[in-house]
Amino acid sequence: MSDENRTAKTPRTPRKKTAVEKETEGTVTLTLLREHAEQQFGHELEELAKVDTRQRPPNWKMSPWAVTTYLLGGKLDNGFEVSPKYIGDRRIIEIAVATLTTDRALLLIGVPGTAKSWVSEHISAAVAGDSTMLIQGTAGTSEEAIRYGWNYARLLADGPSMQALVPSPLMRAMQDGKIARVEELTRIPADVQDTLITILSEKTLPIPELNSEVQANRGFSVIATANDRDKGVNDLSSALKRRFNTVVLPLPKTIEEEVEIVQRRVESLGRALELPAEPPALEEVRRIVIIFRELRSGITEDGKTKIKSPSSTLSTAEAISVVNSGLALAAHFGDGRLHSADIASGLIGAVIKDPVQDRVVWREYLETVVKERDGWKDLYRACRDEM
Amino acid sequence: MSVHIFGIRHHGPGSARSLRDALEQLQPDAILVEGPPDADPLLPLLTAPKMQPPVALLLYVPDQPHRCVYYPFAVFSPELQALHYGLTNNIPVRFIDLPQAHQLADKPTSTDQPTPEPSDAINNVPNNSDTEADKIRFDPLGWLGKAAGYSDGERWWEHMVEQRRNSVDLFAAILEAMSALRGETQQSEEPIEAQREAYMRSCIRAASESYQKIAVVCGAWHSPALAQMPPEKEDNVLLKGLPKIKVQATWVPWTYGRLAYSSGYGAGVQSPGWYHHLWTTPDQVVIRWIVEVAQLLREQDLDASSANLIEAVRLAESLAALRDRPLAGLAELNEATQAVLCFGSDLPMRLIHEKLIVGERLGEVPDDTPMIPLQQDLVKQQKRLRMPAEVTQKTLDLDLRKPNDLERSHLLHRLTLLGIAWGELQRTSGKKGTFHELWRLQWQPEFVVTLISSGIWGNTISEAAASYARDIADRAKELPILTRLLNQVLLADLPHALSHLMTRLQTEAAIASDIAHLMAALPPLTNILRYGNVRKTDTEMVSHVVDGLVARICIGLPGACASLDDDAATAMYEKLNCVNSAITLLQNNDHLASWHKVLTQMSEQGLNGIISGRCCRLLLDAGKFDADEAARRMGLALSTANEPPQSAAWVEGFLKGSGLLLLHDDKLWQVLDSWVSQLSGDTFTALLPLLRRTFSTFSHPERRQMGERVKRGNVRLDISSVDADFDQRSADAVLPIVAQLLGVSYK
Repeated sequence: MSDENRTAKTPRTPRKKTAVEKETEGTVTLTLLREHAEQQFGHELEELAKVDTRQRPPNWKMSPWAVTTYLLGGKLDNGFEVSPKYIGDRRIIEIAVATLTTDRALLLIGVPGTAKSWVSEHISAAVAGDSTMLIQGTAGTSEEAIRYGWNYARLLADGPSMQALVPSPLMRAMQDGKIARVEELTRIPADVQDTLITILSEKTLPIPELNSEVQANRGFSVIATANDRDKGVNDLSSALKRRFNTVVLPLPKTIEEEVEIVQRRVESLGRALELPAEPPALEEVRRIVIIFRELRSGITEDGKTKIKSPSSTLSTAEAISVVNSGLALAAHFGDGRLHSADIASGLIGAVIKDPVQDRVVWREYLETVVKERDGWKDLYRACRDEM
Repeated sequence: MSVHIFGIRHHGPGSARSLRDALEQLQPDAILVEGPPDADPLLPLLTAPKMQPPVALLLYVPDQPHRCVYYPFAVFSPELQALHYGLTNNIPVRFIDLPQAHQLADKPTSTDQPTPEPSDAINNVPNNSDTEADKIRFDPLGWLGKAAGYSDGERWWEHMVEQRRNSVDLFAAILEAMSALRGETQQSEEPIEAQREAYMRSCIRAASESYQKIAVVCGAWHSPALAQMPPEKEDNVLLKGLPKIKVQATWVPWTYGRLAYSSGYGAGVQSPGWYHHLWTTPDQVVIRWIVEVAQLLREQDLDASSANLIEAVRLAESLAALRDRPLAGLAELNEATQAVLCFGSDLPMRLIHEKLIVGERLGEVPDDTPMIPLQQDLVKQQKRLRMPAEVTQKTLDLDLRKPNDLERSHLLHRLTLLGIAWGELQRTSGKKGTFHELWRLQWQPEFVVTLISSGIWGNTISEAAASYARDIADRAKELPILTRLLNQVLLADLPHALSHLMTRLQTEAAIASDIAHLMAALPPLTNILRYGNVRKTDTEMVSHVVDGLVARICIGLPGACASLDDDAATAMYEKLNCVNSAITLLQNNDHLASWHKVLTQMSEQGLNGIISGRCCRLLLDAGKFDADEAARRMGLALSTANEPPQSAAWVEGFLKGSGLLLLHDDKLWQVLDSWVSQLSGDTFTALLPLLRRTFSTFSHPERRQMGERVKRGNVRLDISSVDADFDQRSADAVLPIVAQLLGVSYK
């Protein structure tokens, strides 16, 4: 029981710490837990805009070239270094940005944790300077959430009018010529999904109640993300599918790529969460990435041994959170350095999603692979103790 | 007198187009092309109406055809366009590369290679060279394009050409660029390169004596070397004392698949289909390509609406703009196709790659191309049997009862015998009967080489196959090789080879000391004897050989089975079963009698338990032993006096693999039952482990059913007692109906 208490406590700790109140000059200001992309990387966007002399599509904050540079990173002519937001194939980002220049909607598909939402947020931040026009798709997302709702007090008092209308983020994006984001499109019930069809093909949102409509201004587009692996998804109708350009975000190709992704994200998250721990040793990150990759693909990295795969997706995003919770443990309960014991509980939590089957898979993996590997003894012992 | 050097990109449609323009402007009175002078006499065939690229020049050493080189030409190859231009305008054309008579003589002989490896002669790039310098030497213009930021050197070229009016100037610029490039890269050249360039220069010198305006078409890399003429003496030194060998040349049909990198062909183009498109499409390259893609997708029942095509073109163009390229190349088009038309999936992309980007085009050569008689015979037969050689994979279902199909089957079997795997015999499923053959056909251009090398065996396919088979038969040392060959020869219908083979088989069988080989030879022969009629083969000779074989097996078997260890006994057990079913199939009473005699003899000898157990069982199945006799023998074999392993092996041999049979065959059940019931309690306990060893191999449900059956007690379903009250008249009344149901005539 004591183990469970410990794991249950860990996520709470950083939150308490980061939402800490800061007193500056007598006034109380709250710092944000998580900043929007355009806030966090505002200076990069500014620097890019300075050197960006290329042609911009109407209502874009910067040129398509600058958008890709913002996402993929690089050194500008004036010596400013732009950090990479997406580590992976350059052509994927190029296709995504080029799609938006053609006023087509963009659909990012991939297994969970392949940076779909991350890419969508950063693209809209770079293109429109605003990544907040967001509709979160759930099984309960209604048509009102996508089109518009009503302020019923005004509706009853004044009758239907533009003032009584509550616009959705999508509607606002159309009016302002910005980019609307639809997260988890496939979670939305199929009939509600199809509301998007008219908006995507006619670029207009009819309001029959007022005998009126909202026409999209130039610069408007939609980035949707969808997941093709999870349970409980509603497939897109082919009519809707045809209106999107589809880009598949793959899992990281090599260990090196994945280690870099985890390392970078952990660093920037650690900074944001103000964890007092040292940044994790590369070796520790690499171990976690190897474990994730091996369990995900069902084969060891040397290609010699087959292993069972657990039911969990084991995405890169989860690897990041394992390192992060390990860091938090190390910071608050350990000596501030990431040890294998700090990772173990997070690791087990990430792998074992089904208490019966996954436990067997994990035990087998521990005994056959982790135990045998040189220099992994500490991790093996730590995981054994946790089980 | 003036010499104009045109440095081109091999298989580059852009080069081809500019070269054609440049030649028309220049109006030369002689055209010299980088290529093998050995093939000069074949050049006029290029303008024959039936000549359809892609084709390749094949140069080979007549007595060793595997020593060969190919010079492939596609319709978009600049060399081909230059030759074509010269031939149609009555301008003398000539190849000027170092003759293959020298190059092939120089190459180390690799006689042990069964199939020729296509080596590229045009660029002479060794297949395994991957160094940067080599790559640049092979495709310098492609690399210049890459340096300029293009994914595809062709698009760069096109872009460059489109902006220039005067194509002659363009080639001067290339010459300049190449000179700079050659100056920069280190000269790690093999002597053969220097010799080739020296030979080209001496050809140009010779031509300049009789012609005024000479156009020289060569790979861009060579152009600087040909532009500067060193003293004649230096070249003569390089070319002195070259070895020489006799070579022959011919045109062979080629495919785009062979031109592509993916088939392991060292120097080719990645996307011949795309280049073909670039060459044949006058304008709107991007749009026409997307339309072709859409048509392909629609053929496969995949959605591709016009609206989506528009979007795909727009995406491709904005991708190109994003990458600062003025034109969308193949990379952009593919990415746009995948994102818009394929919904991100890469499966349709594979189809597009195979069918469009590489393409399946197969060339054609005119009938009067020099061919060895064997080739001509094949072409004739292909025409007669309406079986064109195609690159796409195709299945052919042959009904051997039809004469045409039978001949096709013969042809395919003969070619297979010669090592030309045009057709691959598939296992027929579903269709019962031996008169069906399912083939998968796919023609490979290299088959021509095998065909040429088979020319020594004869002038027609059947003659060549027969003498080839005779040759193998003469050299074969082991019986199994002969029987396998016999099967092939029978399928290929080669009566001349057959009689020879039979004689060989008989002599080999007579001296064969290994009874296992004889046993392995029997089953295929009995198959032929039993089912040979469909193929109209003469089975009399086969039956003669079979008689001899059966006799020898019956004599030699007891000796061969003596003192075998367990592994050898298990192997023999399998053979015993095969031979038994073969002899049963023959239904020859003499053979059966002698076979049963030898089995009885063996079941009594103290052989390895598994053998004698199986012999006993085979005799029981054949009705030679009745249930009581078998039970007696079982008791005998399992007596406590015997060594337990021996007894266990006996039971294994007797019952192996027949758990289900035991349940349904009353006779077998009774044998076992009566034996078990007469055992005393103690003996049974003692024997139980031995029985377990066999019974544990039966599946769980089988064992359960056996248990249930034992529980029910001694229920004897004695089938043999049924005929006691048999009513002949009632039975006769049913027969017409049964005959009607079975579709046979009732007399």
